[in-house]
Order: sequence, then structure tokens, then C-alpha cells
Amino acid sequence: MAIEIRYSVLTPEAGVQRIAGASPMVMGALPPGMRGPAPGAGAPPLRRPAPASSFTFARRLDTLDGKTVYLVDTGFGGSYKFMQQVQKWFAKHMPSVKTIRKRKSGHVFMDDTTDLWEEIKTKGDAAVVGVAG
Amino acid sequence: MKDNLRLNKSPLPFIFTPHPVIGLPDEALYDYVEGEDPETGKIVIQEIVDALTRPVSETQLKVESPESVIAEAPALLKDTEDNLQRIFYAKGWTEGLPVILPTEERVNAMLAGTSHPADEVVGEAFQMDTRELVKYTVQNIAVIAVMAGARPEHFPVILAIAATRQTALMPSTTAFGAVLMVNGPIRNEIGMNCGIGAFSAINQANSVIGRAWLLMSHCWGYNRPLRTLWSSQGNNLTYNSMCCAENEERSVWAPFHVQKGFKAEESVVSIFRGWTLFNSPGTAANRTLGEELKIQMGAMPGSAATLIMDPLVARNLKENEGFKTKEDYCRWLSQNIKMPAGRFWGADHIDMLIASQAYQGIEPYASWKKLPDDALIAPFHDPGQISIIVVGGETSPLWKVADYRYTISAPIDTWRPNKADECADGTCGIPDPDDPEAYK
Repeated sequence: MAIEIRYSVLTPEAGVQRIAGASPMVMGALPPGMRGPAPGAGAPPLRRPAPASSFTFARRLDTLDGKTVYLVDTGFGGSYKFMQQVQKWFAKHMPSVKTIRKRKSGHVFMDDTTDLWEEIKTKGDAAVVGVAG
Repeated sequence: MKDNLRLNKSPLPFIFTPHPVIGLPDEALYDYVEGEDPETGKIVIQEIVDALTRPVSETQLKVESPESVIAEAPALLKDTEDNLQRIFYAKGWTEGLPVILPTEERVNAMLAGTSHPADEVVGEAFQMDTRELVKYTVQNIAVIAVMAGARPEHFPVILAIAATRQTALMPSTTAFGAVLMVNGPIRNEIGMNCGIGAFSAINQANSVIGRAWLLMSHCWGYNRPLRTLWSSQGNNLTYNSMCCAENEERSVWAPFHVQKGFKAEESVVSIFRGWTLFNSPGTAANRTLGEELKIQMGAMPGSAATLIMDPLVARNLKENEGFKTKEDYCRWLSQNIKMPAGRFWGADHIDMLIASQAYQGIEPYASWKKLPDDALIAPFHDPGQISIIVVGGETSPLWKVADYRYTISAPIDTWRPNKADECADGTCGIPDPDDPEAYK
């Protein structure tokens, strides 16, 4: 015997609104009416970020010779060791490039601190940031 | 990540290596540096040098339109039960087990289980592969609740879970699990199990509520391998997320939701999430519970924990060991669970999630980072990050302990039907909470 399911009413697609081009959820405040752990306790719940403002790229370097390149370890699994190998490659093949390996100071999944970015602007010429998962 | 880049209107110079990066020896990672980017075929290190020295073109990344999730949706699905079951699974709406097909009659009956209108938005989910924000309504959750096998009286709990916006299926490459726990009067109104076999697959309310959360996660798109789901092994607990109720009547301590500021007469659903779960194989017959937990939690690097204990365990702790409240025992655990610093910092997830606090100078982590590997630290140092819930049927003083972190609590009562909507002849499907026979 056939069963009728009206797609627009009686499927898991029913009642769903899809909004294209949205921003991913990032960590932040709780939904209204909810309670959660104390602030600062572990990973905060998810929220949508504010819309990204426009930006321009820094001018590219003519050459890396003699320049200081920061190798930024985000803290994600494997980042530390991967950046070690990038540093090893530069030491072997482009020894005139000074590489500084540093761990990003904030949360692995958030752009929540600026100290390293300020240091790179002051003391560095370029940065390689990784890894993401 | 590749999907994010395709759909991202900002052409950042991203470079890919083969996956994973974690856990590989130095030689393999060096090969990654000198090897090919699997996305472009170009040499990774050359791409790095080029990204720093060549102009970044706005056409460097092809921006594609999001892939349509619904391709020409039919107006009507009309087929045999067997074929519809196959269609539902093929569309990614189920975990593969048979569902209760959401006919109009069943969905309408489910909608009577709440006072909220069918078109009210309950929450939203972000789909990482298509970058769509999916807003789901009461209607949508009613369909899913029917599929899970729920009845109208379960619907307020299921709506409260949906309102948390939490997913039962986490995207992480790791194997997250969760506990879904209900407090308050609704536990007994809808016949949830908080006693013998509370975590066993024997109770309809526990089963369908846990399943409804899983099916929501499927329907919201969290189930697509290598697009929204990357858990290398997965976690079998996601079938039901240990859905249970706290045994408030037999507990010697305050219910969990009261600890979180809700009133005892409010009904609340809470979620705890993490990776590692110990089932006590036996009782604390030859050692105290504290000594047993020193062994178990001492092998579980973490900063948060959830301890699920039988009422007998709680009673012994209070009456024989003097822990008057849950908070008292949490404080004891925070001070007495120790492990070597090297064991703590050597754990991959600790390095990733907590080491940054040490680097920022936040105590106690900053000091712990300077200790020798064999120095003992108290990793669960904050008693506020330890949760205790009392579940079980008092046939044996057993417990479970997990590195699960308390995540969120959502009120249920706001989703209840209006009393005026209940009918005298029972045809609405909503049992009368004042009738002691109604929920048997």
C-alpha cells in the first residue's frame, strides 16, 4: 500500500529556511533563555560572528632573502611539528631567511589575542600561519 | 576547508597538505613540506614562498556557488513503506534504522504537544559544506520527532533540545560523546527512566528523545563524511547520547538543575560533552570511591569532569563520608585527583585546548608548564568544572566518570502545550499530567 508524504510539509525539509552565504558559528554567548558553564570555563558555546569588514592584503615581498618570516603555530594538533619542518626546510634551502617559530597565544579556534600580530608587524616581514584542521 | 574556500568571497592564500598532520613523524611532515598540495598539485613550500612574494590574485580561488542541497524537490513522496524508508535514508535524514514515517496525522498529533505555532523558528544550524544557515521550525522538529518514534508528550523535551542549537554529531576528527539529561517533573510525567537500567536500551522515553536529537543532527546536515563529519572513528554513544533523567527522588543531594539556578519544579534538559568515559566495572568494595576515582580520573587528562553515580554512592558519600552537598565532593575531587604534569601536557587535546592559557600566563597553567614531567598537579583544580549527577536503581553502588564538560541547560516548560488544548476524551494524544494513570 502506498503512503503519501507531502515533501514540503511532512519531510525533514519541511519548515526549514535556508539562508545562503552565512557565516559559520563561532564560540560565544548562549542562546536566549539557556544557562551554561561559568564564563571562561573551557570552550564557550557557539555564536555567529559579526560580518567581516573589507580588508586589503599587505604588499607582497620582492624576495624572502634577508627577511624575517614568522611561522605561527596555531596550536591545532600537528602544527608545532609541522612548523618545525618548515623551519628546517628554510634553514637548509634558504638560510638567508630568518624564521621565528611561535605559538599563537589565544584559543586555538579563535582570533582572540593580538600580541603576536603586533610583534610580527614590528619585528617581522611575513607570517605563515598553520595548521587548520 | 576546501568547501569553505570555494564559498569564501575573500581569496586568502590557503595552502593544503595531505591530511592528517597530527601524529606523523618528522620525516613524513618534512615530506609534506617538499611534497604536493593535494588541491593544486604544486609543491607546498613553493606555494608558501609564492604566497609571500607574488601578488595575490582575486581569481586565485575559484568562487563557486553553494551546491544545492535540495535538487528539484518533488511535491509528493508516494511509495511503499519499504521504499520510503530507503528514500529517507538516501536523503541523509536517518541513521539507517527504520523510522516512523511522518504522515499528516502523526505530525499534527505531534504538533499538539506544544503551545508554539508550527512556523515558529526554534533554532538554527550552520552547514559547513554549503555555508547555509538552516533555520528550523516547530514543524520541522515535529516531523523529526515522529520519525524518532516520539509521542506528543515527549515533544516539549525535544523542542528544548532543538533550541540549544547543539548537535549530537560533532564535526571534529575526534570521537565526541554526550550525555543528555532531564530534570524536573516532566521526567515522571512522560515516564523517563532514572532508575534501574537508566542507560540501558529499555525505556521508550529515554530512547526516542535521545534518538530525536540524533536525527535532528542528521537532518541539519551534520552527517556528511568529509564535508561536515570528520570523526575518524566516530562514537557509538551518539545513537542515544546516554539520554537519561536524574533520580531526584532517591538522591540525597540537590538536583543538577537546581544547582544551575533553576527551580526544583522547573523541567530542564542539560547536555554534557567530552571524549572519555569510564564505567566502573565493580563497586568501591576494597577502596573508597575517592581512591577509585584517583585511579580513573588520574588516567584521564582533562580540566572538566562529569561523575554519574548511583543513589547508593551518593548516600554513602553523604552519610558515611560527610559530603553534605555535591559541591563538597567536587571540592574534594578538585584537590585530590592528581596526575604527573607530563601526562597532562602530553595529551594532544590538552596541548591544543589548554596550553594557550599557560602561554598567556594564566594560572595554574602557567606554573604547571614549568614543572618537571613527574611533578604532580591537580588537573581538575576548579570544582566548578566538575558535575555530579545521580542516576541509577540502587541494585549496586556503581558509577561512571567522564571528561565530559557541562555545556548547556535549556528550559522545557516553555514548550509545553497549553492546558486549554488538552481534550477530555484523550483524542488529542496528550496525557493529562494530573491523572496518575495517564503515563503508565
